[in-house]
Amino acid sequence: MEINAVLTLQHQEDSFAGKLYLFPPFLCFVSLDRKSVRFTIPLSTIRRVERLNSRAGVFALSLVLWHGMKMIVQLTSMRSTAEAFCDRLRDGLKVQLQLGQMKQVKPFAKTLYSETLCGDSLPAEKSKDGETSPLVDVGATAAAAKMGVEDADDGGEYHRGLGSEFKFPGDAKKLREASKIKLWTAYLRAHGRHLTLARYPQCTRLIQVGLPNRLRGEMWETLSGSLYLRFANPDVYQSILKEHDGKTSMSTEEIEKDLNRSLPEYAAYQSEKGISSLRRVLTAYSWKNPELGYCQAMNILTAAILIYMSEEQAFWLLEVLCDRLLPGYYSPSMHGTLLDQRVFEALVQRCLPLIHEHFTSVDVQLSVASLPWFLSLFINSMPLIFAFRVIDCFFAMGPKVLFQVGIIIAILKINGEKLLEIQDDGAFIHLMRDYFASLGDSAHPNSSDPRVKNITNFQELLLVAFREFSVITDETIISERKRFRAGVTSTLESFSKRAAIRNLKFTGRFSKDQCGAIYDLLFKAIWEEPPRGTGVTGSVDSTGRPETRISMNTFKQFLCYVASWARNELVVSNGFQQRIQRDVVDHALINRLFYSWDYSSKGALSLQDIVMGLEGVMFNDLMSNIEWFFKLHDKDKDGSLSKDEVLQLSESLLFIFRNEPGDAYLGAVSRFMTNAFEYGDSLLEKGDDATGDPEEAPTNQPYLTLPTFRMVVLADEILESFFDSDLSASFRFDEPAAPLPDEPTGLLGGLMSTILTKENKNLFNRVADEIGKTIGKHQVDQRPAIGKLGKELALQEPKPRETLLTPRQRSASSGAAPSASSPEPSTLSSQSLPNVSQLSLSERTPVPPVTPLIPTTIVMERQTFAIDAAKDDDEEEDSMYAIGGDDDVMDEVDAFLEAHDSGLTDAQKAEAQGEARIRSFGAASDIFLV
Amino acid sequence: MADNAETSAVPDKPIQVKLVLLGEAAVGKSSIVLRFVSNEFQANKEPTIGAAFLTQKCRLEDRVLRYEIWDTAGQERFHSLAPMYYRNAQAAVVVYDVTKATSLEKAKSWVKELQRQANPNIVIALAGNKVDLVTASSAAGASGAAASNGDDDEDEADDATATPGEDAGEAENPEGLRQVPKDEAQAYATEAGLLFFETSAKTGEGIVEIFTEIAKKIPIDHILNGRGGASRSAAAGAAAADAVNLQNNAPKGKSPCSC
Ligand SMILES: Nc1nc2c(ncn2[C@@H]2O[C@H](COP(=O)(O)OP(=O)(O)OP(=O)(O)O)[C@@H](O)[C@H]2O)c(=O)[nH]1
Ligand SMILES: [Mg+2]
Repeated sequence: MEINAVLTLQHQEDSFAGKLYLFPPFLCFVSLDRKSVRFTIPLSTIRRVERLNSRAGVFALSLVLWHGMKMIVQLTSMRSTAEAFCDRLRDGLKVQLQLGQMKQVKPFAKTLYSETLCGDSLPAEKSKDGETSPLVDVGATAAAAKMGVEDADDGGEYHRGLGSEFKFPGDAKKLREASKIKLWTAYLRAHGRHLTLARYPQCTRLIQVGLPNRLRGEMWETLSGSLYLRFANPDVYQSILKEHDGKTSMSTEEIEKDLNRSLPEYAAYQSEKGISSLRRVLTAYSWKNPELGYCQAMNILTAAILIYMSEEQAFWLLEVLCDRLLPGYYSPSMHGTLLDQRVFEALVQRCLPLIHEHFTSVDVQLSVASLPWFLSLFINSMPLIFAFRVIDCFFAMGPKVLFQVGIIIAILKINGEKLLEIQDDGAFIHLMRDYFASLGDSAHPNSSDPRVKNITNFQELLLVAFREFSVITDETIISERKRFRAGVTSTLESFSKRAAIRNLKFTGRFSKDQCGAIYDLLFKAIWEEPPRGTGVTGSVDSTGRPETRISMNTFKQFLCYVASWARNELVVSNGFQQRIQRDVVDHALINRLFYSWDYSSKGALSLQDIVMGLEGVMFNDLMSNIEWFFKLHDKDKDGSLSKDEVLQLSESLLFIFRNEPGDAYLGAVSRFMTNAFEYGDSLLEKGDDATGDPEEAPTNQPYLTLPTFRMVVLADEILESFFDSDLSASFRFDEPAAPLPDEPTGLLGGLMSTILTKENKNLFNRVADEIGKTIGKHQVDQRPAIGKLGKELALQEPKPRETLLTPRQRSASSGAAPSASSPEPSTLSSQSLPNVSQLSLSERTPVPPVTPLIPTTIVMERQTFAIDAAKDDDEEEDSMYAIGGDDDVMDEVDAFLEAHDSGLTDAQKAEAQGEARIRSFGAASDIFLV
Repeated sequence: MADNAETSAVPDKPIQVKLVLLGEAAVGKSSIVLRFVSNEFQANKEPTIGAAFLTQKCRLEDRVLRYEIWDTAGQERFHSLAPMYYRNAQAAVVVYDVTKATSLEKAKSWVKELQRQANPNIVIALAGNKVDLVTASSAAGASGAAASNGDDDEDEADDATATPGEDAGEAENPEGLRQVPKDEAQAYATEAGLLFFETSAKTGEGIVEIFTEIAKKIPIDHILNGRGGASRSAAAGAAAADAVNLQNNAPKGKSPCSC
């Protein structure tokens, strides 16, 4: 339940309008801008709720939390809503009370360092306002008062990380630990702590200058939300360990290998204590989440967080990391990592087009360097103290990936000029390594202003990152992730695709992309029409590796996609929609092709066979096409066709031309036959007198040689033009690319495929056809395979995306295509986009339009980036310091410097003196890992 | 192409050889590279995340090679990322751990994958690492090593105590038994057409040899002529142009060389 509310904390001047949410067992508040102020507090921490005097129609509640902090929320929704909200709140609190949750709060709080800092806070003020009417009084005042006493002993029980024994990385003095602690103590006193922490803008600022070591673990827990898990699941960590004590698994083995290899420079991990902590957390998590188990990088992450938090805290933080913050990063398929790499690369393309272009041109993959950053949150890339500051922000910021991406884009941007000079992966990695090594150096070493001079490269990095962070919105990330999700799922497959393509010994004149298109179509065909029979399964190639082969049935399906004459293409119009239906056909010619491409005589074709086969025809000129066609029909390969074979060849031609309108082609074929037999007979007479009557020559005897065949073909204009270009051009890959594995209806492509199953579509098509018929709009047109003649010019297929046509042809077909007055939707090609919108406009039915003509890839490719044309890098650079976010950080740094000297109130100064007992940590040298 | 001509005008530019290391987790890939590149050994090397990149120049007869080394992560789930790193590689070192039989199986599957999917001219070397753990026994003849467990025990104990810097990790696996007989691995390597070495990143044994033999076996002319399989045209072009300079300047070549 949600309600409009205005929040005011006791002793704080500012009030914030926002929304109050009740999601038992939590009460949450988010300010209207969604970032200034936020809290999420468990109901069990609320000790008293009072409704304040509702004079002048103001409806306000006073909430007293377990440690005495008081906040006023004014409910600004309609009164009835406010009443209902109060009722629900009361119910929620009662349930918590009954569950005994209220009693859990105090012992839990003892595990937290902030209690040590703030434990002497005053007990809740008793409301002296006679007009208040308590809604709930859980009687915690006494408890709160008592607590003050208990906590006087410096909260010795709080959970702490290895750092408190083995020292924290970094120089405590340089990190200004003491003053940070002072500032935080003040903040936590006023705004609540751990379970009850309210995040005000100040909080974010304090985080941005780096959390103090002692508080870091707790703040990570709080900011990431793992604190709530630990609170709600007491003892789970211990019981997992107990339950699996002594057991081993694949994961535990893998973990064991890496225990000595996790931040080995850090003292704790040279001792049994640190190692066994690490072992327990990692194994416990692998038992908790067996599907994920253990992934290298988790050891580094866990070793790092264990410096600041207890095992149990680390365990729950790990859960939040793997489950929510870095979803899929460490899973066995690592799909999350791959996905965010894609998102990241797309964002680089968008934000830093120059760098993207350069990297593409020199063939450098960003991910060779960025992958480890993503996986280990910079821990093994940056000096530790800086990595931890990145992690501070990571937990504090909204969408986490976004933040990481922001950091990385900032890194690239800052190094932009140098990046444009690099020529290979190695130089890129070196550059990044050097940059990380210089993070502690001044960003403006030559500045005369000491303040400016003090700004380190790291601070500069954060400045730029926060700016990027605001440029890229949540929505961008969400939509980018969506855009790539399907792709990534198939990326895993596409590893095998790329491998298969790379593995091709012969690709001839095909480009890699074209081989990819063949691969996609092949696997689409396999999906539609699984191969069967011998020679298909367990097939291995010459070097003994397994390979995919297809049988005849699959080949027909494949050829149906590829060759315009190897399918029956129907244009169905029913008044609602137009669609193209492609049906597999059967003909001896296809069998012939199959066997002639079966180069290793296995009765099944491999990708290599198909590539070779297609290469043998798609680039042919007139003469080679004639020869190709001739050889296709020369079964015994003796260099001449028998009479039978001439007949078969003619049949093949007739088959190819079967869908052409008019009888020009028919005429051409019959002329061909007449001529062929005439020449054949005459040659036969000359060549072999003994045979006597040519009519009686056995039909399997050599009859027509290639030169003769060529002559006969060239005698006919239509045939000449067919062999000159039409034959080669009848093979095309303009199908939608890569059928997605989870999308059995890959053929249909497009967005609808995610909504409708194939069955549904067929059903829908049928129904639409029926309706179309009844209103007299149903119409089925057979599309020609070559479509060159007469009025059919207008029907010519538009040029394919990856055109295989010769330049001459290209101009020819593009000349023909735009006669677009035709109502015909174009075929499966990139040109179909305009038609898509046409179709959906004309759609009148409430049923979602079925537009099986949209190649998936096209739809995805066209979207986002066309809109925001590449921004000028320099321009952005100029405005760098003008954007609010940066100023905030600068202000914040300033504020921090000031507070360090004079910004403390007297009370705080007194406090600060008290803090002097906090052990200061010797100048442990920065752990430096690059 | 224009800027290729410019960069290649620098004399003595070495021939780039892209090399990738593959093998099961913790067999010592990164340690081998570290030994080769900086002649160091770290007892507890962090696992490689994704991959690491290092370079080392190297002279072979009159030629200077510059190895660009991609050291990959060994854990199975990083497997799908490997093609990103072995694409265009001219050489590969597939590493296993002589004390761990399963690691040889993994090595074999890597070899298979490389032969199937990598650059067809790739030179592959098989390295049986951590041979220091079984040193005495390997000297005694690899044939009997698998059987003589007891002996190995003692050898290992001696070795461990004699070597400074040995620590907990070792104690976990105190026996250091040879699980892969040398002749078995050798036979496999011969059959599969691989270079073969037993190495120790710890003592340095066999490390330089791998890279030297690879350098000898690499079809350098192939690279120079720009026919280096899938190698990028730019790189190949640059290398081809270098070759001239390299030949001219070879005698006074000043690149450091560890081979
Ligand atoms: N005794 C001995 N130990 C070695 C040798 N080589 C590596 N090690 C140890 O084996 C462990 C793993 O070495 P790494 O070099 O990190 O192994 P890796 O193959 O790179 O591992 P991943 O990066 O996880 O794939 C480390 O603790 C090394 O110290 C060797 O030759 N002898
Ligand atoms: Mg490694």
